[in-house]
Amino acid sequence: MDIQLKRGLLDVCVLAAIKDEDSYGYKIIKDLKPCIELSESTLYTILKRLETAKMLTVRSAEHDGRLRKYYRITAAGLKRIEEFKEEWKEIMSIYQFVVKEDRHG
Amino acid sequence: MGKQEFLARLEEGLSGLPQEDIAERMGFYSEMIDDRMEDGLSEEAAVAGIGSVEEVVSQIVAETPLPRIVRERVRSNRRLQAWEILLLVLGFPLWFPLLIAAFAIILSLYIVIWALVLSLWAVELALIVGALGGLAAGVLFIFRGEGLQGLAVIGAGLALAGLSVFLFYGCRGAGKGALILAKKLALGIKSLFLKKEGAR
Repeated sequence: MDIQLKRGLLDVCVLAAIKDEDSYGYKIIKDLKPCIELSESTLYTILKRLETAKMLTVRSAEHDGRLRKYYRITAAGLKRIEEFKEEWKEIMSIYQFVVKEDRHG
Repeated sequence: MGKQEFLARLEEGLSGLPQEDIAERMGFYSEMIDDRMEDGLSEEAAVAGIGSVEEVVSQIVAETPLPRIVRERVRSNRRLQAWEILLLVLGFPLWFPLLIAAFAIILSLYIVIWALVLSLWAVELALIVGALGGLAAGVLFIFRGEGLQGLAVIGAGLALAGLSVFLFYGCRGAGKGALILAKKLALGIKSLFLKKEGAR
C-alpha cells in the first residue's frame, strides 16, 4: 500500500480507537488487532504525531502501582474522523466505478 | 530476556539521544511489557512480542531528526572553560570553513545520488524524443518519395522506442535504489554522532 495513504489510515484508526473512551497503548493495539496489526514502535510514532497535531491529549494515571499513559481525543481529532468519512465516501464511489468497469471489460 | 534486561539494552542503544526522548521511550516500552504481563503473558513472552532491541533502536534513530541528535550532542558536553571559549573564538576562521565543508560533502553526496537518477531519466527522455522524431521524420521522407530513407529512419525510431521501454524499468529501479541509499546515508550520519557519544 502507498506509504502516505497507509499513514493517514493508521492515524484515523488510532483516533477511532480512543473516540468513545480514553485508552492506553496496549489496549489500542489489542482493539485494532482485528482490523490492523500494529507494532508498539509504530503506535508510538502515530501517537506522537497525533499529539503534535493536537488531535489527542495525554495524561498519566496510576494503575496497579505504576504509571500508565491515557490518550484522549480532542475536537480536532473528532473533526479528522469526520473528514475521513467524507473523503472515503468519495473514494468508495470511485471504487464502485472502477469495479463496474472491470465487470464490463 | 527479561523486562529489566530489555530496558537496559534499549537505554544503551539509545544513548546519545536527548534524555527526555530516552525516558519517554523507556516509559512507553515498560508500560507495554507490564500491560502484556497483566494480560496473562509471561515476562519472557511479553518482551519477545515487542521485537528485538536492535530493530526498535534503529527504528527510533531513523525517526529522530538529525538536528535533534546534533543539538543533544553539543548540549550534553560539559561546560566550557574560559580558555576553550577563547580557542573557539580564535579558531573560528579554521573550524567554521571545516564545518561548512562537512555540510557541503553531505549535501553533495545527496546531489550525486539524485543526479545519477536524474541523468538516467534524461537519457530516457532523449530516447522517447528520438523515437517520436524518427517516426515523424520517416513518415515525412516517405511522403516526399524517399521511401528507403524513410524506412531506415522509422526503423531507427522503433529501435529507440524499444530501448526506452527497457530503460524505463532501469530508471524506476534506480529511483527506488537512490531512495534506499539516501535513507541509509541519513542513518549512517546519525549513527556517527551516536557512536561518538557512546564512546565518550
